[in-house]
Amino acid sequence: MSAVLLWVVCPVENAQPLLSLVPRNGRRGRSCKLSSTGVSAACSSAVAHPSRSSEERVYEVVLKQAALVREQRGERALDLKKPIESDDMADWNLLNEAYQRCGEVCAEYAKTFYLGTLLMTPERRRAVWAIYVWCRRTDELVDGPNASHITPKALERWDKRLNDLFQGRPYDMFDAALSDTVAKYPVDIQPFKDMIEGMRLDLRKSRYENFDELYLYCYYVAGTVGLMSVPVMGIAPESKASTETVYNAALALGIANQLTNILRDVGEDARRGRIYLPQEELARAGLSDDDIFRGKVTDKWRNFMKGQIKRARKFFDEAEKGVGELNSASRWPVWASLLLYRQILDAIEANDYNNFTKRAYVGKAKKLVSLPVAYGRALMGASDLAKLVVR
Amino acid sequence: MSTLSLRSHFLSPTSPPKLDSSKTLIFCTSFNENAKRFAFFKGTSTRPRIVCSSSSSSKDAFSDNIPSNFCIIEGPETVQDFVQMQLREIQNNIRSRRNKIFLLMEEVRRLRVQERIKGVKGIDESSEEEANEMPEMTSSIPFLPHVTPKTLKQLYLTSLSFIAGIIAFGGLIAPTLELKLGLGGTSYEDFIRSMHLPLQLSQVDPIVASFSGGAVGVISALMLIEANNVEQQEKKRCKYCYGTGYLACARCSASGVCLSIDPLSVVSTASDRPLQVPTTKRCPNCSGAGKVMCPTCLCTGMLMASEHDPRIDPFD
Repeated sequence: MSAVLLWVVCPVENAQPLLSLVPRNGRRGRSCKLSSTGVSAACSSAVAHPSRSSEERVYEVVLKQAALVREQRGERALDLKKPIESDDMADWNLLNEAYQRCGEVCAEYAKTFYLGTLLMTPERRRAVWAIYVWCRRTDELVDGPNASHITPKALERWDKRLNDLFQGRPYDMFDAALSDTVAKYPVDIQPFKDMIEGMRLDLRKSRYENFDELYLYCYYVAGTVGLMSVPVMGIAPESKASTETVYNAALALGIANQLTNILRDVGEDARRGRIYLPQEELARAGLSDDDIFRGKVTDKWRNFMKGQIKRARKFFDEAEKGVGELNSASRWPVWASLLLYRQILDAIEANDYNNFTKRAYVGKAKKLVSLPVAYGRALMGASDLAKLVVR
Repeated sequence: MSTLSLRSHFLSPTSPPKLDSSKTLIFCTSFNENAKRFAFFKGTSTRPRIVCSSSSSSKDAFSDNIPSNFCIIEGPETVQDFVQMQLREIQNNIRSRRNKIFLLMEEVRRLRVQERIKGVKGIDESSEEEANEMPEMTSSIPFLPHVTPKTLKQLYLTSLSFIAGIIAFGGLIAPTLELKLGLGGTSYEDFIRSMHLPLQLSQVDPIVASFSGGAVGVISALMLIEANNVEQQEKKRCKYCYGTGYLACARCSASGVCLSIDPLSVVSTASDRPLQVPTTKRCPNCSGAGKVMCPTCLCTGMLMASEHDPRIDPFD
């Protein structure tokens, strides 16, 4: 819990000294060592953690992303990084068809998300679909029907494919759609690589000791998605907030979404032998793995779930701070998804915290009502939001 | 216990290529004490080499035959695995592998029988009734749930009773009660006139009218059922490759050939020759096939159960 406080309390003003320590294009390994002293110095007022926590490491990635975006804005005019592609015109039909298929896959597997993408501009919609399909294919490698055949070599090959497509040499048509997307928007490769890393982690781990480990996992599988989509959504030109804030908010939204998923699917995951809730916190609440496998709702469970839901809500609050800074056309879908997912937590409470046998889902009526509410909030910019009373 | 051992020699990608090698494929099966040897070999050109083994443990045989570089994600070089072989060798290899598959499946069947005998007794006696006649099938009539023997009987009963009822109504009840279509006993002609429809409709012969009505009903019903059927078949397809099992290669845009851009050759001959039409080479990504493996369905083209299967996830 203390690690969480470190994350939430550490305000953005500390980002400035941190930035000076994080080298711009350094490898992650090097930058980790350099900034470890910087982070502890800047946040010394908060609880001092002897070893670096996941939050700090993830925060560094966020800073690097923000820095890269600023760099890429300058280089975009010269377009030095992307190699010259000789057969762009010939690929156009294939590309269109590829994007079309990405949309169909998205509509098939994530209906609500697909409906949300319809609220975006057509260009952004296609980009988000391409990213979604890549993430889904990656997830299916370890979670899908062929997961029993997955080997480290397969993940290596998948990683190589990712590198190739970022350099403009996609392997198949879905890679081609993502390759086109990353050419059009300043998306960095690091979140994608981190997602593959998260898949590797998922192969080995089925238990998480403390929230720190869980946070890292949530970053790998969901926080990265937030970081991937910020360049596509775009930051509003009139926004006065720093790029880091927006990235942090996106990261928080991803983490909040993943925590909600975890809290909703406790029973389902337990049936597959996985418990994502931190072992330390379970022990502190007097619960064990057996209690979860047994699936009985007790008062201890209710108290435990209350605490978990409260923490997830805190991440949603963090995320809300940044949505207003996005491009005006992108605010509505992001708000809609935020509000919808937040309601799942309410649904868990309404089910009397029984996430073993009941699936908490938001009814269609509530989903429809959220849309105009989200629209209303999207119309207000970030400055107005600050005047509202925060819950 | 009968043992099965296979030895087949083929060029694996790791071994150095032998260009003059003859293909020899041997299957040896030894049954108990019969020592019945069934050797089947095929040679291409020169001396056939006979290798026969009657080892008891089939494990060693398989471990060095299954290629250790199996990987579900395809790379540009995986199709090149057997590029060294000649056509005749490839055909022999295909035949031997298919035989192997058949024999392996037979082994799995026997192992399953043993498993059944030894362990899995009495787990579900209740499921025996389910394993009766018809497996659970989705209905081809839209909006109906799964079809089982019980619902099929219900369907027969309901349909027949409906047909009988309608025939009785139309043939007996309506004329007896002198039911007319419109309110207050308006006749057919008055009805047509009041609805402002073309007047020739009132002159339609009753037989023609009933035939047309029946035909329209049947044709539209067939159309709906077919559409529903197509929708259900589509649900079984892999969504990524549309059931084809392959995705278009992005490198050559599914054509199979790439432009061979060789800057050095252009520079060297710039002086004496005008610009040439660029030549094409076989696409290195897909080896000229134009399509690459779909990693989701592993080229089966079928949708496989995932964690979003309706059995686990009924609310999405």
